Amino acid sequence: MEFLQYTVRKLVGGIPLIIGVTLISFVLMVYFGPDKTYELLSKNPTAAEIEQVRTQLGYDQPFWVRYGEYLKELATLEFGYSDSTGERVSSILGRTVPVSLLLLAPGFVLGNLLGIVLGLVAAWHRGGWIDKTIMSFAVVGMSISFLVVIIAFQILFGVVLGWFPVRGWNVYGPASYLHYVTVPTLASVFVTLGYNTRFFRAVLVEEMGRDHVRTARAFGAGAVEILWKNVLMNAMIPIVTRVMFSIPLVVISGSLLIESYFGIPGVGKVTYDAITSGDQPILKAVVGLTAVLFVLILIVNDILYKVFDPRVSLGRVSLK
Amino acid sequence: MIGLCRDRNGDFGYPEYSRREGFIKIMRDFAMRSAAAVLIALVLAACNDPGTGPAEAGNVYRHSIDGAPSTLDPARAATVYSSVVVVNVFDTLYRYKYLARPYELAPNLATGFPEVSGDGLTYTFRIRPDARFADDPAFPDGNGRGVTMHDLVYSLKRHFDPEQRSQGAWLWAGRIRGLDAWGENGADYDEPVEGLEVIDDHTLQITLTEPYPQLVYTLATGFSALVPREAVAHYGREFGVKPVGSGPYRLVSFDSSLARLARNPNFRREPLDLAAEGFDADQHGEFGLQHLDGQSYPFTDRLEIHFIQENAARWSAFSSGEVDNVIVPNEQVDSALASRDPVEFKPRIRERYHGYAGLEAGFVYTGFNMADERFGHHPDPVRDEANRALRCAIRSAFDWNARNNTFYYGIGKIFPGVIPPVVPEYNPDKSRESVTRDLDRARALLAEHGWSADTLPELDYGLISGVQQRQMYAQLRAQLVELGFPMEKINADTFATFGDFSRAMKNRRLDILFLGWTLDYPDAQNTLQLFYGPYETPGSNNFNYRNPEFDALYDQAATMQPGPERTELYRRMNDMVIDDCVAISGLSRTRIHLWNRNVHMLPDQEILGGFFMRFVDVDRASGE
Repeated sequence: MEFLQYTVRKLVGGIPLIIGVTLISFVLMVYFGPDKTYELLSKNPTAAEIEQVRTQLGYDQPFWVRYGEYLKELATLEFGYSDSTGERVSSILGRTVPVSLLLLAPGFVLGNLLGIVLGLVAAWHRGGWIDKTIMSFAVVGMSISFLVVIIAFQILFGVVLGWFPVRGWNVYGPASYLHYVTVPTLASVFVTLGYNTRFFRAVLVEEMGRDHVRTARAFGAGAVEILWKNVLMNAMIPIVTRVMFSIPLVVISGSLLIESYFGIPGVGKVTYDAITSGDQPILKAVVGLTAVLFVLILIVNDILYKVFDPRVSLGRVSLK
Repeated sequence: MIGLCRDRNGDFGYPEYSRREGFIKIMRDFAMRSAAAVLIALVLAACNDPGTGPAEAGNVYRHSIDGAPSTLDPARAATVYSSVVVVNVFDTLYRYKYLARPYELAPNLATGFPEVSGDGLTYTFRIRPDARFADDPAFPDGNGRGVTMHDLVYSLKRHFDPEQRSQGAWLWAGRIRGLDAWGENGADYDEPVEGLEVIDDHTLQITLTEPYPQLVYTLATGFSALVPREAVAHYGREFGVKPVGSGPYRLVSFDSSLARLARNPNFRREPLDLAAEGFDADQHGEFGLQHLDGQSYPFTDRLEIHFIQENAARWSAFSSGEVDNVIVPNEQVDSALASRDPVEFKPRIRERYHGYAGLEAGFVYTGFNMADERFGHHPDPVRDEANRALRCAIRSAFDWNARNNTFYYGIGKIFPGVIPPVVPEYNPDKSRESVTRDLDRARALLAEHGWSADTLPELDYGLISGVQQRQMYAQLRAQLVELGFPMEKINADTFATFGDFSRAMKNRRLDILFLGWTLDYPDAQNTLQLFYGPYETPGSNNFNYRNPEFDALYDQAATMQPGPERTELYRRMNDMVIDDCVAISGLSRTRIHLWNRNVHMLPDQEILGGFFMRFVDVDRASGE
């Protein structure tokens, strides 16, 4: 019951957030967004033809009418048709979002899990050569451009070794999935691992110095037990926060470079194309759904706080 | 107090962990199972693509191109990328000969060239009776029906239906009797158009408002492709991603990265006649085409058209054998060429690939907004002349060789004026003064007409955000600073998208524009119309050039059949554009093609778009 009340309260509380985000993004899209009129016109258009296209695109409507339409679309999840391709926006998202999730999930999970493991090892050996070695590799990973990593991995694994395809997404089963997802995943892990390891190490080092860890050591607990029970579990709140809030970015924007260079028809590429071409129906859908996703993640995030720290109340946060 | 030896439960020791761990374990199991379920659902969803699956049997040609089409609806197939796919899915009445250069038309769906009345106003076209649309659920029984002239009439009408947002209407606007009025009066498809008379299912008579010698050319463009009405009705706005036509292939799947096409079993044509297509053993003998003579096309069972915008990714995909062809990107030219002039490939490239270098059917050029009285047309003749001198000085200060070497690896072809080398009206003997840098002459022109650093106007150079565009701006600015312009007077006006750039251009907010033009057909009229007064912005005359004498010649030439007299008029118009210093023009880029040796083709897609793909043969047995 507490959970249900909490969820409903959060969902209602998320409405102003969604309205705020969509309003700001809509202002940016309308007043600073690209104008598709002349891209859709034939050569030598008349003034009437220009006006006609503007009307079809809804550019002649007052701001609040357009914004109201947008909210209605968001509420009904009916975003109409792409201005560029004519394809139904819901079909585009239905086709591309699963591809992006499948593409990015392994890299996201591996990047975070390995980051936590390496962060734990580095924190445990703080100041020692293991710590310094891990941190050095982390800095190397952070210093190399994602683009360079992608191109280098394509050449290494696709052209030189010939183990994996340079690009493409012809996935029809687990084997083909591994075939196509491996190199993008390696590139993604290579770049994100440095950032993740540094962050997790900082959080874990702080936790490592707390009294209860020293007490556990005094009780004679082993390293693995201390790291798992006393350090990691107590550091889960900042870790969960970081991981959860990176999900929308991974889903929407994080995939752009990978999808472009690996020729994978995911939502990141579609979003980028919509931005550069001013395809407002797609942009509106992506921005609106991202805002909703953030609200949902806020809720899940708070629930996870409760999981990892029982002192957290879903009614209010308090210290016992 | 946060206890010294307490965990966050506030308890000493570990008993509390058992309850907590149990909870975490349950949650973890739940999360793992949920994740597994989601992953399986995602795999299923991502695999739910009709074009996705294990390698199918049969020959496949895998083509790479540096951009993606936004739509495959012929009414809006305005880009090269759309056209490459559209002409393979749909049929047009005419096409260009595969190998003949200069470009020559050949009948495609038409049985021959049209009969033209003596006054040049009536054209009678006939099409093959055996052409059929590809099978598709859009048809009542799922079987493609026969193609008739009603389909051509319907397809042409669509361009004048405001709801269709056609981008090809300009080809026939004001040309076919009654067609414009049909669109203005409600675009009722059941209403006839006077100038489009179907004599029988396979014969159409088109009546023009005035002679239009380019009419047959327009019927070789993707815009003129024949579209079945029931498919447009069936798919509605999604027809652009689910096209149905009668071309050699049918679309299997299409997204931003790849279009998959499979042979259309309903497609019928006479066998390939290599000699009629312009085969020359000296030029084409090495490409392994001879065995295709007399065979029925298309020769491959499937086409894959890969849209790869990034040069590095495209080159890697070609190097690894994932695509069969590539246009060599700038940064790879030195690794591919042993010599730039003449173009010669390195031995290791020649061993592995076929290669071909050809001029683009178009050009790049820069021009002034002539509607701006600060440097364009001016009612005062003295100021008008001073403005002309300023434009000519800027043109003389522009270094085409530097532009060519910096951005087109020194193998672009620089030519004077706006009639590019690829059209028959090009004059190779034309003076090159307008494309030769002469800084002294430029400075003298400015001084002669009283221009100084103080009086020179500020110029806004429009560009689309991107490294190369900014580099081009910087190069021009450096050259103008050398001429005497204060640096702060040459400003960049940067736009995020082509749409925004286009809006500024069409609303005359930019002073200097760098543009590219790809020919719609091999006739200089297609480039001269860019300077025709009545087409000023928002029309295609983006420089807003107004010259009554030019316009009169354009009108006169518009109804003339090709021949020396018309060529003479074209060249006089070209001279006017040069003399008035409207544009800094031009350069046709050289495309360097490489393709695998087991692929038998000439992948020249200039003008032809994707027409050549029906003639491609792949010998997979001989290896990659």
